[in-house]
This record gives sequence, C-alpha cells and structure tokens, in this order.
Amino acid sequence: MTAPTPHHFIALIEDACTSCLICVQECPTWCISLDSHHEEVSEPGARRPRTVSVLDDFRIDYGLCMYCGICVDLCPFDALEWRPRVGYQAEGRDDLVHDIARLDGGTSDG
Amino acid sequence: MIADDMLEVAVAEWAEAAREARDGGLPFLELLTVVDRGDELDVVARMSDASGRLSLGLMTRVAADAPRIESLAAVLPAASWHEREVAEMFGVVFDGHPDPRPLLLRGTAGAPPLRRGTPLAVRLERAWPGEVEPASRRRSRQQLPPGVRPEWLPGGSA
Repeated sequence: MTAPTPHHFIALIEDACTSCLICVQECPTWCISLDSHHEEVSEPGARRPRTVSVLDDFRIDYGLCMYCGICVDLCPFDALEWRPRVGYQAEGRDDLVHDIARLDGGTSDG
Repeated sequence: MIADDMLEVAVAEWAEAAREARDGGLPFLELLTVVDRGDELDVVARMSDASGRLSLGLMTRVAADAPRIESLAAVLPAASWHEREVAEMFGVVFDGHPDPRPLLLRGTAGAPPLRRGTPLAVRLERAWPGEVEPASRRRSRQQLPPGVRPEWLPGGSA
C-alpha cells in the first residue's frame, strides 16, 4: 500500500476534463466554476461532424475550498487529483481564486 | 475511557447533574454545544477527569421554538464562553448567565445562524456555479444546489 497523497492542492488534468460540471454541482462550498463551449469536429470518414465540449476556464476558489475532496472522488474522468503543494499565500481575496493556468498540476510553489 | 457514556437528564436537573459530575471526579468541561433535531434541540456537554481518560456526556432536550435552560456557569465557570457561543449560534437562552453578551458575532440581529431552519444568506444571494450549462444539456431531474434547503426558497415547503 502506498502512502496517501497529502491533501494539499487539487490539480486539474485539462485534457481529461469533459466540462461535465459534476464537480461544480457537487461542491458543498460552491468553490468551483468552469466555462466551456461547443465545437464541431469533423473527422475523416465520419458521416457527420461530432460536437465536443471545450473547456475554456476552470477556477477553484481556495478561499472557499475546504479540501473535502468530493470533486476528486466524483470526477468520472479522473481529471482532478490531489497533488502535494504549498504556497497559498495571497495578496488579496481574489488571488485565492486559481484559474486554469494555476491548476495545471505544478508541484512547486506558485 | 467511557467515551460512549451519555447520560440524558431532564432540563430541570441539568445544572444539578453537572454539579454531581463535577463533585464526583469529573471537574473539567470539555464541550458544551447543541444539536438541532428539528422540533427539539439536544444540549450536550462532556465532562472529564484530570487525566482526560474518564469522561461523561450529559444531554438534555429543550423545545426548539423557545429554547431555555439553566446556565452552568455557576457550577463550571468554563461553561460561560460555550454558552455565549451556543446562545448566539442556536438562540438558546441561558438563565442566570453572568455575562450574556455575544461571543463571536457582532450584534444579535437575525435568526441564529447554526439552526437548520436559518437560510444561509450567501447561498441565496450568489448564483450557483452549477447552474451554468455550457454543454446546453439540461438535467432532467430538478435538483437543489448543495447547501440549500427547499424551505428557504419562495413557495418551498416549510
């Protein structure tokens, strides 16, 4: 058995996210929000274009998050996972909202 | 360690039960709080001995619409802050409390915030992020956002 991953930081694996909104809707503290849009993808050989959802932004407000991990547990595509990280110091309230660039799964401070 | 030991007493015997526990070798008040059961509130206290290995839970029930109970502050001075917190958070009146000022909240206007029936204002003011439907898929099942109770909504059942 491996040691449990410390519950420090929730990383988003952008490519795995389908914008299904399950994490957003199940979050007890309403700390997650996301934006996405639809795109039609034409694949060679396909009879008609396929509609896919494209993630535009994903935000976690660490001023509200209570690290319960429900989002990590419920994500059907394993697009959220715990990563060890420290460095949550923020200059202001708004700085605690981590957008898609800051949820990229970096393991260093920042 | 008798952590599961919970003694239920009548409201009238609340302070006397605490006095008996104190004099019977459990002089430390570890906890005093309330559990909202709907029609009734459970007032719960836990007392322990000097080692912390022996403890006893005391519990009594008060009516939720006019919760009133004797203060333990005369028996256990440590109860004073706990009771001030319970008073402001759950609206329980402690008879004979030496200093009934709010402990944490500024002012006492509005419904007691930790009672289940008290709407959480921020949940009604803020738009639920889950309402955004970027995939233009409407869920067939109408669901309430987490943290919102049906009776808070206009026309909701009480």
